[in-house]
Amino acid sequence: MVFPMAVRPLFWFFVCFVLVGFASSLWSLLTSILTVMPMPLPYWLLYTPGNIVTAGIIVAALMLALYTYLGIALVLNKMNRGFIPITMVIAFTIGITLLLAKLAIPALVILVIAYVMLIGTYAVLISVTTTRTSKALWGVATIILALTPPILIGGGLAVINYIRYMALVEQAMAIMASAIEAWRLGTHNP
Amino acid sequence: MLRLIVLILAITSVIIIIANSIYVVPSLVAYSGIGSLGGVGYYASQPVPGVPPGLLVRVFLVNGSVVEPVDAFIDVYANAPNGIVHVSMGYSSILIVPFSNVNWQYVINKWVLLGLLGVSSSEYETSMLIFITYVKGNESWILPLVIPYNVAWIIENSRYIVVNAFINVNSIKPSGVIPAMPGITSVNLQIPSNRSGYTTYNCDLSAPKPPPETAFKPEIACLGFNGSLPATWVTWDKDVVQRDQGVEFQLTAGFLGMNRWDAMAVGYGVIGTSYSAEENWALGFYPVVFGSEVTQFGSAYWVTQPGSVYWYYGGATWAIVNYTVWFVNSSMGTYHLGNATVFEVLYVPPNDHYIGMVLDYGNGSVSLLYYLASKHYLEYPVSSIVNYAAFIYTGQEYLYQCNGPVTNASTTSGIAYAITLGGVNTAYGLSLAELGTGLGGLALGISSMLITPSTSSSVTSTYLEFFNVNTGTKLYISVIDASAVYGLPTFGFILNATNYYGIPSSVTCKYGKITQIG
Repeated sequence: MVFPMAVRPLFWFFVCFVLVGFASSLWSLLTSILTVMPMPLPYWLLYTPGNIVTAGIIVAALMLALYTYLGIALVLNKMNRGFIPITMVIAFTIGITLLLAKLAIPALVILVIAYVMLIGTYAVLISVTTTRTSKALWGVATIILALTPPILIGGGLAVINYIRYMALVEQAMAIMASAIEAWRLGTHNP
Repeated sequence: MLRLIVLILAITSVIIIIANSIYVVPSLVAYSGIGSLGGVGYYASQPVPGVPPGLLVRVFLVNGSVVEPVDAFIDVYANAPNGIVHVSMGYSSILIVPFSNVNWQYVINKWVLLGLLGVSSSEYETSMLIFITYVKGNESWILPLVIPYNVAWIIENSRYIVVNAFINVNSIKPSGVIPAMPGITSVNLQIPSNRSGYTTYNCDLSAPKPPPETAFKPEIACLGFNGSLPATWVTWDKDVVQRDQGVEFQLTAGFLGMNRWDAMAVGYGVIGTSYSAEENWALGFYPVVFGSEVTQFGSAYWVTQPGSVYWYYGGATWAIVNYTVWFVNSSMGTYHLGNATVFEVLYVPPNDHYIGMVLDYGNGSVSLLYYLASKHYLEYPVSSIVNYAAFIYTGQEYLYQCNGPVTNASTTSGIAYAITLGGVNTAYGLSLAELGTGLGGLALGISSMLITPSTSSSVTSTYLEFFNVNTGTKLYISVIDASAVYGLPTFGFILNATNYYGIPSSVTCKYGKITQIG
């Protein structure tokens, strides 16, 4: 079970997870509607691939910061599984740096490790959550995360629509799991 | 309290994610950039209240790193199967043209009528032609753009097409704003009158509703061509006929999947895809032999004079559109702002109808393309030559291979040298970079940013085979990537006897293989 000292950081982790998820979906909702509205808008506000990538990088950076926070909080509470999210963040950072340096093969190797560690991080989250519902939702999200690469490799671009729906379900599950867990942890730690 | 807020935000996020996934709100399904000229995003969505689905043009001024909305004259035309129709215009930084626009509906009806014989309207991938004119001081900048769309989207009222046009004042050449009176402009083209591959006609179709009165007066001249649109060709000069008698060649071509014909504008290059169609064919086996007299032997064509042979799409239409815009003001007078010339394909019959092969001795469609290029109506960049190969006799016969694979095989009629140029191209609507970004987003839980790609693929294969290559054969083969010149998704082979086409001072060979023959 969770150590009492870890409750507060975990609470804030889940709260922030929901906030980042909400901010990202709200951005996509507003910007996509604004883009088709007949009004002049600055280019950076439009829902274009370039801007989506920029927003994606910001969200990714926030999520990596959150996972770092989670990892450190767990390690400080003598839960060694906290090293899994920390390793994931380090691997992602190195992988993306290698990608930017155009070292595609090493980048791919490191990013595969990072992805496996991300699945591990979800498993860590299942282990530290306290409600059954939350555990179940994280569990489904973990399964989707694990199944996505083999489906994509096997099916290629033909299955991209299924991948898209799987990803949306995964995102919704993770956000709801976090909200439910934040709700529970909040009762213990008002 | 905080717990409640978090729960509400989470539920809201999930609702947004669901709305996005079932296209209740605009969801980006495809995006294509048009070089540095702009880009177009296609958003699948239920109609947003107060915003009818249709075309939305946004104009941005690009000056260094500054990108800002700017007012410009936006003029929109729609391509019909055999002409262009004026749809809408206005002076603003944005222009919205709903699918319900009377003139656009007029064009859509022409496509629907064309398809009455059993072709679904969703098979028509036509385009809009947009001219944007930005004026500052004594200078004006004109931006021509071609925006592809599917006819069925309009019938289903299910898409928002958002065009982002970039007036880059540093890279687009400005025109001088000069006092002048509007006149009847026409495409000043001396098209050879003796022609076999096509007929010309006026393709400026009048719309049911005339354009509104503004200070900007556009004039358009549309010269239409109806006939055989080249798919791939070989051209030879008179020296080849004299020096390489007895040499035989076969042009084999195949197209599989979605073919895209790009529109070209003088001074701009590619400005978008004007027409796309599913094509699925592979043909060959009409040998051409260089001879001293015309003889019919089997199915071979014996040629005694310079010319071309080409595979074509019959019953296609294409056009040269000349656009001129004037500014008319009662107190300031009348000014000529500039003009633009666009070459675009309007229609190609789908599903490999009417494919044929024909000889062109200066009066066919391939000759027309060379003519237009020679007059600089179409640009002919050196970089469009993508490959070289040569049979050269210097006391000994050699085969020089440059960039692509050249194979030889023993056949019953001697050794065949096949030059596979263009080879096999597989193109996906989604670049790997975009896909990678999407997956990165997925891993970090930002999957709503994953863009669904258009998964259409296109495979073309074009190759030229030579037979009866003997000691003494001198043949220089240059290959042009036709899409870089004419917007045609194919390759053209040019045969010369003394040097490569255009007499390049140096030839860069990546492959650089030399084979001794005989």
